[in-house]
Amino acid sequence: MRATRRRGHLRVGIVCPYSFDAPGGVQFHVRDLAEALQAAGHEVSVLAPSSDDTDLPDVVTAAGRAVPVPYNGSVARLTFGPVTATRVRRWLEAGIGGRPFDIVHLHEPMVPSLSMLALWQAAEPVVATFHTSQTRSRALQVAYPLVRQSLEKIAARIAVSEDARRTLVDHLGGDAVVIPNGVYTDVFASSPRRPEWTGTPQAPTVAFLGRLDEPRKGLDVLVRAIPGILAQAPGTRFLVAGRGNGAVGETREALGDLAASVEFLGGVSDADKAALLASADLYVAPQTGGESFGIVLVEAMAAGSVVVASDLGAFQRVLDAGAAGALFRTGDPDDLAATVLALLADPARRDAYRAHAEHWVQRFDWSGVTEQVLAVYDMTLAADHAIGGDVVGRVMGLFPRRVGGDA
Amino acid sequence: MSWSETALAALAVLAVALLLAWRGASRVDRLHRKVAASRIALDAQLVRRASAAVELAASGALDPASSVLVADAAYAASDAGPVTEPAAALKMDGLGPARERAESGLTATLREALEAPEAAQELLAGPSGEVVAALGAAWYRATLARRFHNEAVAQTRRVRRLWYVRLFHLAGRAPMPRTVELDDVLPHSLEPHGG
Repeated sequence: MRATRRRGHLRVGIVCPYSFDAPGGVQFHVRDLAEALQAAGHEVSVLAPSSDDTDLPDVVTAAGRAVPVPYNGSVARLTFGPVTATRVRRWLEAGIGGRPFDIVHLHEPMVPSLSMLALWQAAEPVVATFHTSQTRSRALQVAYPLVRQSLEKIAARIAVSEDARRTLVDHLGGDAVVIPNGVYTDVFASSPRRPEWTGTPQAPTVAFLGRLDEPRKGLDVLVRAIPGILAQAPGTRFLVAGRGNGAVGETREALGDLAASVEFLGGVSDADKAALLASADLYVAPQTGGESFGIVLVEAMAAGSVVVASDLGAFQRVLDAGAAGALFRTGDPDDLAATVLALLADPARRDAYRAHAEHWVQRFDWSGVTEQVLAVYDMTLAADHAIGGDVVGRVMGLFPRRVGGDA
Repeated sequence: MSWSETALAALAVLAVALLLAWRGASRVDRLHRKVAASRIALDAQLVRRASAAVELAASGALDPASSVLVADAAYAASDAGPVTEPAAALKMDGLGPARERAESGLTATLREALEAPEAAQELLAGPSGEVVAALGAAWYRATLARRFHNEAVAQTRRVRRLWYVRLFHLAGRAPMPRTVELDDVLPHSLEPHGG
């Protein structure tokens, strides 16, 4: 039984706490992981908040509308409450094709949304992935005693970066294995360029991606660096992709005459994003905090753009300590301008970064990342089968739900 | 306070104590199972790694000196383990210093033999590529299993320090679980990356 399960396919239930209505890093990770697992021959069902009219991938089960609530310093769309808890229970009970999940993989179980509810109710072996890196959260510390006992149900903990792991160690104690976020590097490496976004020696292009009205994405840092860059390289064009209420007008106003050098592309599709990163000479990541990984940096490297990023710990690691891309002092527009100008004037250095990055990004490719995630599943199941699951917990009614497992 | 009130209060205290003991006992039991199970998983992966190492040594892919040393270290590790008896498997006191030393020794020897990236690439591409890949897979899984096991041990130790767990002796005669401390750092050439 154990052997057939290992060699054969698994039924994996993945829970995403954030809404697919407004996709972000965790949602993309969940979607891609589900795809990669399916490609490896496993059955996957994803539970995520979403309103009924959102176009969802087939694999996703909508768990109801998410409401915007402030959490972790920004606004997150979460779903919670008794109705949701019931939906989570039904989804767990349904499994896939009427057969229970072999593994339940929760993302961000400490975020008060679906994952936390699923952890509370799951009787299957649980794997959890932690994405966040934050310096301190009082809410987590207050809630910790309440969720600590559920946390003991997690058989295996994954952190997407060294920074996320440290956050976990500081807040919850214990440890986690680091498995990076995956990127389909081929998609970006083979993306066609767009002539209108491709730079020339006289008019190089600099790309920015991210929500415009989210201060931590650092658009403001770039905008303040633009005058300095244009003073020395007047032909430079800035391509700014991302949504944001009112930020376009504000930025145009702040730049005055220089605004002509900035093009706002609005929200871009996945294909446009890849094309933008493949076409632009430089990709600037001026984030000022709240980043635990930096997946767009990996995508930019895979696409062949040269990355200029703030020197946050996460970015340093994702850029191989500055060997795969240039770093500038976080939040310092002057240093950003100087770094951009130095790179624009030095094609040899850009080539060196590109060459290193091309090799370096392979470690973030989904092929390897999926292998690592499957190894974690494998070890979780090995331990679960070794002892026959959590019989006592089920019998004594310690959990709100009993599942007819194989215990 | 009247007699009946005192009795009622005593009953309430007793009920709370019973509830605490009951929940504490199931929690401790659950964690003990987790510790034992994750230890069995770790043990199995280390055994798998040792046998892959023996196979690699016998394949002729390594130079003769490395082959002998790897085989020796792998046999030392398998002689020190594995845990086969059910009673021993349920013990929670780590893997024992002899086994941990032997496994660390195997790690050091293998790392020395496989550290050079070119050599490892050659091995992976060569006729014994599968053996090397199997070794890498078992090794990586062993590092995962050890983390998960030590995590379970840490949780168990924390719960067993709770006052009501100690007061009611909820852990019974089970030994205090111990983490497994050994060197299992993979050589760069075997780290699991795509491409």
